[in-house]
Amino acid sequence: MMPKFDYLRPRTTEKLIGLLAKHGEDAKLFAGGTDLLVLMRDKIVRPKYVIDLKGIDELHELSHDEERGLRIGATVTLNELLKSEVVKERFAALWSAADVLADPTLRNRSTLVGNICNASPASDMAPALLVLDAEVEVAGKEGERTIPIRDFFTGVKRTSLKPGEFVRAVRIPNPPAGAKGGYLKWGRTRGEDLAVVGVAALVADSGKELARIALSSVAPTPLLVPEVEKVFQGEGLLEKKIDEAAAAVLKKICPISDVRCCEEYRICMAEVLTRRILKQLLGAS
Amino acid sequence: MSRHKITLVVNGERYGLEVEANRTLLQAIREDLSLTGTKRACERGDCGLCTVLVDGVPTKSCLMLAVEANRKEITTIEGLVKGEELSPVQQAFVKHGAVQCGFCTPAFILAAEALLKRNPKPTEEEVKEAIGGILCRCTGYRQIIDAILDASKSKKGG
Repeated sequence: MMPKFDYLRPRTTEKLIGLLAKHGEDAKLFAGGTDLLVLMRDKIVRPKYVIDLKGIDELHELSHDEERGLRIGATVTLNELLKSEVVKERFAALWSAADVLADPTLRNRSTLVGNICNASPASDMAPALLVLDAEVEVAGKEGERTIPIRDFFTGVKRTSLKPGEFVRAVRIPNPPAGAKGGYLKWGRTRGEDLAVVGVAALVADSGKELARIALSSVAPTPLLVPEVEKVFQGEGLLEKKIDEAAAAVLKKICPISDVRCCEEYRICMAEVLTRRILKQLLGAS
Repeated sequence: MSRHKITLVVNGERYGLEVEANRTLLQAIREDLSLTGTKRACERGDCGLCTVLVDGVPTKSCLMLAVEANRKEITTIEGLVKGEELSPVQQAFVKHGAVQCGFCTPAFILAAEALLKRNPKPTEEEVKEAIGGILCRCTGYRQIIDAILDASKSKKGG
């Protein structure tokens, strides 16, 4: 049985901002509910007010623009993302992460914005957003601001959102023409489970123009490894660059042992998956 | 706690309910409407046994509030039988022995119904994908997959 709360369903963002200003820490925002309702059932969170975002039409917009890129509203579900041709073709890292998150039934409800606001170190969507250099569009009673996704995660289940703020949408710039991306998730089972390790990558022009790697489940927050970018600049054998990229990843990660696997296994798989995804995207043997 | 008057259309019949905010759709279906074909198990979105169709979309009813389902159309396993006649998917489950203890069966059948409506001729991979959110603890997946593939063959059109 879930703890008691009042359910509120504002119809406009103005009303939502007013409710957040009034109830502050007593309120929790509710989109797909696939994280929140479990936390409430386990009595880990006990909000007095649950504010459902799905009554606000403008938060349900998924749009793409050649100049501004992709914009994903707070209540857009993962299955809605997966149905989008432009996401599949131009934002492959994001698409392939959504495709392996939880299971297809949950993805009818789960949202990308909910996934990042939950701020789990095992978030599948966060590494993809990190390599795609996404921005988080935030609103609150003090006005609007934009947080680069690299600054969004501040700790386990912690974000840089201030009380009274909410995420209106996530914006992702168009990757350069010809860029390739992907996400590899290593889990104990193919569906349902959280990642033992997840690795997202984005490369362009054999990595010279762009080479980004980000991981889940290897640190207190989803982790971008900026050192990888430098490895691929300049001349040199691709195989050697991939070795160096894997070494840069290993230097940066600090996984823990938990119910899913031990630390050593995570370290091993982080290296394997980094090499695997770079080889896949760069066409190395 | 807030209380809400809601209307649900369940298996084609309209119901008016008054629910407390923390009531899940699963509780409303099983306890308020006495439709116990929808099963309660993990109640945390892992097992998928509480799957129902909400406006035709497979949804884990333990992770949806009843108040959210206001004015939505819900299909439960009880809604598939026409008189005495089982649906083609149900008949295929019987034919293939895709039922062992039977506890997961309503969820698998509803997920299959939704899949075949969207994609009348799925591949085996697509069937596996569509039922990926539901666990069978008897592990009779082979028969379940065969039953769904067989039901897709007997479906008209495609």
